[in-house]
Amino acid sequence: MATETKKDTRTAQQAPTVTLTIDGQEVTVPKGTTVLEAALGMGIHVPTFCWHPKLKSVGACRMCYVEIEKMPKLAVSCATEAMDGMVVHTDSDLVKRGRKAVIEFILANHPLDCPTCDKGGECDLQDLTFKHGFDDSRYDFLKMRFTEGAVHTTFDDVRIGPEIILNRNRCILCYKCVRANKEAFGEYDLGAFERGNITEINAAPGREVSNPFSGNLVEICPVGALTNTDWRYKIRVWLTKQARSICPFTSSGTNTLLWKEDHQQKIFRCTSRRNDDIDDGWIADVTRYGWSYVMAEDRLQTPLVKKEGKQVPVSWEEAIDLVARRLTEIDDTKGNVCIGGLINPQLDNESLHAFNKFMRVTIGANNVDHRLDYPMLPAQGDTAYSILSSQPFSIADIDTSDVIVSFGSDMLKEHPNEYLRMRKAYMFRQAKVFTINPYAVKNADIASVDVVYAPGTDEIVVNAICLAAIEEKLVDAGRAAGLKDKIVPNSAAEAAETAGVELDDIKIIARSLADGKQVTFLVGELVARCAEREPIAAAIANLNRLFGLTDKGQVARLARYANSKGAEKLGLTPFPAPEVKAKLERIFGGWPENEALTTDKMLVQMNKEAINAGLVVGANPLLLYPDREFARECLERLDFLVVCDSFETETTAIADVVLPLASWAEYAGDYVNLEGRTQHAEAAIKPRFHSRPALEIIEQLARAMDKPLFESADERRREVAEVLAAQAVLPWPNDYFEVSFDNAAADSEYTIPVFVGDDPHHAGHLTEKSPSLSNFVSEAYVEMSIELAAKLDVKAGDSVRVESEAGKVIVPVKVSDYLDTDAVFLPRNFSSAQVNSLLMRKKRVNRVKITRVAD
Amino acid sequence: MSFYSPVITNAAEVAQSDDLHLFRYVEDPEQHNVDTYEKHGGYVAWKKVLTSMQPDEVIAEVKNSGLRGRGGAGFPTGMKWGFVPKDSPKARYLICNADESEPGTCKDRVIMERDPHAMIEGMAIGAYAIGSHLMFCYIRGEFGHCIDQVEAAMKQAYAKGHLGKNIYGSGYDLDMVVHTGGGAYICGEETALLNSLEGEKGLSRIRPPFPAVAGLYASPTIVNNVETLAAVPHIINRGADWYKTMGTEKSAGSKIFSLTGHVNRPGNYEVPLGFNLKTLIYDEKYGAGIPNGKKLKAVIPGGASTPYLKPDMIDVGLDYESLASVGSMLGSGAIIVLDEDTCIVWSIMKLIHFFRHESCGKCTPCREGTGWLEQLITRIEHGEGRPGDIEKIDDLCGNILGRTICPLGDAAVMPIQSTIKHWRDEWQYHIDHKKCPCANTHEFK
Repeated sequence: MATETKKDTRTAQQAPTVTLTIDGQEVTVPKGTTVLEAALGMGIHVPTFCWHPKLKSVGACRMCYVEIEKMPKLAVSCATEAMDGMVVHTDSDLVKRGRKAVIEFILANHPLDCPTCDKGGECDLQDLTFKHGFDDSRYDFLKMRFTEGAVHTTFDDVRIGPEIILNRNRCILCYKCVRANKEAFGEYDLGAFERGNITEINAAPGREVSNPFSGNLVEICPVGALTNTDWRYKIRVWLTKQARSICPFTSSGTNTLLWKEDHQQKIFRCTSRRNDDIDDGWIADVTRYGWSYVMAEDRLQTPLVKKEGKQVPVSWEEAIDLVARRLTEIDDTKGNVCIGGLINPQLDNESLHAFNKFMRVTIGANNVDHRLDYPMLPAQGDTAYSILSSQPFSIADIDTSDVIVSFGSDMLKEHPNEYLRMRKAYMFRQAKVFTINPYAVKNADIASVDVVYAPGTDEIVVNAICLAAIEEKLVDAGRAAGLKDKIVPNSAAEAAETAGVELDDIKIIARSLADGKQVTFLVGELVARCAEREPIAAAIANLNRLFGLTDKGQVARLARYANSKGAEKLGLTPFPAPEVKAKLERIFGGWPENEALTTDKMLVQMNKEAINAGLVVGANPLLLYPDREFARECLERLDFLVVCDSFETETTAIADVVLPLASWAEYAGDYVNLEGRTQHAEAAIKPRFHSRPALEIIEQLARAMDKPLFESADERRREVAEVLAAQAVLPWPNDYFEVSFDNAAADSEYTIPVFVGDDPHHAGHLTEKSPSLSNFVSEAYVEMSIELAAKLDVKAGDSVRVESEAGKVIVPVKVSDYLDTDAVFLPRNFSSAQVNSLLMRKKRVNRVKITRVAD
Repeated sequence: MSFYSPVITNAAEVAQSDDLHLFRYVEDPEQHNVDTYEKHGGYVAWKKVLTSMQPDEVIAEVKNSGLRGRGGAGFPTGMKWGFVPKDSPKARYLICNADESEPGTCKDRVIMERDPHAMIEGMAIGAYAIGSHLMFCYIRGEFGHCIDQVEAAMKQAYAKGHLGKNIYGSGYDLDMVVHTGGGAYICGEETALLNSLEGEKGLSRIRPPFPAVAGLYASPTIVNNVETLAAVPHIINRGADWYKTMGTEKSAGSKIFSLTGHVNRPGNYEVPLGFNLKTLIYDEKYGAGIPNGKKLKAVIPGGASTPYLKPDMIDVGLDYESLASVGSMLGSGAIIVLDEDTCIVWSIMKLIHFFRHESCGKCTPCREGTGWLEQLITRIEHGEGRPGDIEKIDDLCGNILGRTICPLGDAAVMPIQSTIKHWRDEWQYHIDHKKCPCANTHEFK
């Protein structure tokens, strides 16, 4: 658990309370609680339409009326603060009449098209009408109709976003969608237009509702006004069942429900399963729509084996036998260290552990890693980066922080859930937010100071903050002693100049870090994926020590994938934390003696033909490893490559054996989120076609090699639990790190810094197979600032050639309104454009040149 | 060149009076110039406040004067100013609500067109009282001429050093912004005005928090009507006790009444509060009776949102309490007179059309209720009413009254309820005879 080593920073203050009486029962609640929340907390049903627990109350629908003694009128409980001595009635005759009237008003112009409305069966208006409304209507006029064009039609459906259909006639104007979009997501692509009873919700003129959280708007709609295309007209809600699942695409482990139908063995949609500790009930679109790759028809159906240069379908028995035989052969002839294993950290705990055991016991080699898309990983286990990565982190603590810094992190793309938490802290608690990145990111609009530094000067920016704090005497001199000698340059001003940032901005950040009562300092993928991440991590460790941040908050590198933290805690790395290693050693009955190899090292060994066989589970290194040419060369040199995946990919194409892998929705498993919280995901359906879960494949393989991994499922679970219980948090050192800096000059020809990561609507290599997500973005692009586009004389949609020393791609231009430097961004999720071919693994900053492709 | 709306005022009478003050110089074509305004004793109060009074003293003086908001609700001005938290670290704002849109009301327009400095001086004093350094004047967008006049006056005030940095060497800074509305009645409601000023859609906000605590940009904000603010300099100059000599005990001071409808001399008249309504309508100095010697049918005493009065109820004082005692309200002081040929249902149809059109659409009862009521009332007026419609209207009104976020819902239904109470026979006639008894008499129908 995240909190196991971390002392609770939220000191238990005696919050003031009030005591009131609701329906004859006395209740004491914290001051500031609304009457509605107090009543709901007591289990008293108060109907609402416009109220949402995570949004500010507006009192628009008037459904939550209660009668409060000594108040002249009915009060809207959602916007009435509970006061001492209040006597509240939620079910008096007056209240009932008030509710009836509201229902009657709402139904006046609401089409009664429930039989054809997708919301039927889970509609708030339907339910509350049954509970509180009239049997009959006194409204004897024609209902008002919104129409598109001159044709009057009941089905006034307008597509307002790639996945959202709007029916304005059904809308009851609770404004929840508009409010959530603005308050929770900071997006302005949806609005209310006109006024009075012809008010309509619609997409902003010329825009479509395509923000990365747009699916939530559909989910919170109390009626069938907003529906999404993946669910519409497919099935009635009462025919479905729900599997409680976990998001496999983000590292937060947002809780979800997969709505499925058992006879057809089909999944129909994914919705949130509110967990205030993690997700507040908001899930990113990639979580909501990503599932549809599971139902894709082009999934791998059977094992494939390369025979005479062609991959042909074979039975599972044949494939497993072949793999077992070949691995044993290579083990016998060349030695066990000649087999390397890479596994995707999106897989569940037991699969990961089984793989670890398979590699380290059955094969007996230390060649195992889950960090497939990080170049130049450290060759030992106790570096500043490892320490930073192992730090505990709590999502809920972002809420209570008064200073939040995101460093080297494009939060919206990497950690959408934490991005929303930052917005929430800013919107509701006026937290100070700072963003420090090598290119401008989306959340800069809530940032008090948005620092964009010159790419490649990451540690200098961190040093500048430290130096500014020392120069301005913001920190205790004793604490600062010795730091200045260990870092470069000598002054904050010089550092700011090197990094190309304003010194005043740096000073403001230093002051806030020093004054902040609870600080959250997040480090993201732009640091993690940097080829020279060690000095950056060291600088951050220094900063942490100087300001004492861990004592008053949290400093952590956020794990990126659904089970990255689990893989780390389960020792799926060359250098597990000491306690983890000790546990594993005991369980495994020993530890392989060969040099532990990271992903890079394994690839290098493959290149030298020192590793001859590779096992890749659920991953596509050819698409994601940040140096395509190198990865391809290395993997192609293998004598024997086994790849398990759900789809045919670049990597399966060069494999000798391809095994179809079941998706996370097809088997039950546990996942550890970035906080270290273990959560269970139920299976929604059975594995489709002939695919099998990773765990099953690995166990079968081990059995076929006559070395079964576990005696029983119980033993397996016990082992996993035991390893997870080990302390994986590495302590901060008691001294400052040396941080030196070598400012590499940019290439002459290639000048534009390029960043490659996930598109906000995609994650990893599987989501491009999801039709719903492809509706948002289906091909790679190069995102650039307006200024750069003008400089290059290109406009949105133009095809350009993006070229680096390593390779080139041709992609369309996307002009971004928030990028403001020359840096460009390319999404890596699309096999149609091999953007990782632009990257070279040893380069700290990859640079490109961009030219327009002649028509 | 300046252009004045040809509005009849009782400026001559006011000039004769010792006490009436708002209209004293409105007929002077140069009053909008800062020099003339200063010659007439302008900006003396502002200088006095800045150089010799503490904010608390200003608030106390206004509180003592008994000045109440002239925009419609009649809330005591000094008390409102006193609600601004003293310890708030946030900026404070004073806003002059010049979004005069209540049907029948045209008093603020006269002040803004002809005596804009009176309003600016009042705003400045109010801003000082609450510790604001930035004040806004939110003017109805259709008032093109008012906007020009106020902006010109503001520039003159800056030029003369009445506004700006370090005013009169006191060290006090005060800036003013003129903002024009986008054409919505609801933006005259203070919370919707705040939303509109912030650049949002003009939707009313739920209270609490009240604007005095969290208004514009969630900061303490005071919103006052033009006429209220225009009275403030006079209170400072002549004292709270003088102000209290006018009007009644609970309704102190004078007020401008906009007399419209079927009267011979429609216009704006400044009279002390408590002035007799019947006198105002029939006296030669004011309304001079109903044209063509017709009889009176009804009076709407406080703008379109107040309950109607029957002819036998008009011998009443024009003050907050007296009108409340006959079941109506002083409102913004817009008196609409209807003669005997006017159909009550027709007049209500016109009003509900207005309120349906101007409902902001945020809360359910007002949004859906006004639309439903408009359809019902229109059908009755057109002779298509069905038995039970009147009861349905009454019931729907009851479901809207007191159930909405802002007073627009109440404003829409109170006149309806009063006419059903007072002229039920006429409503019933429409349904029973399937026609309007006064058809063909309405020019604008």
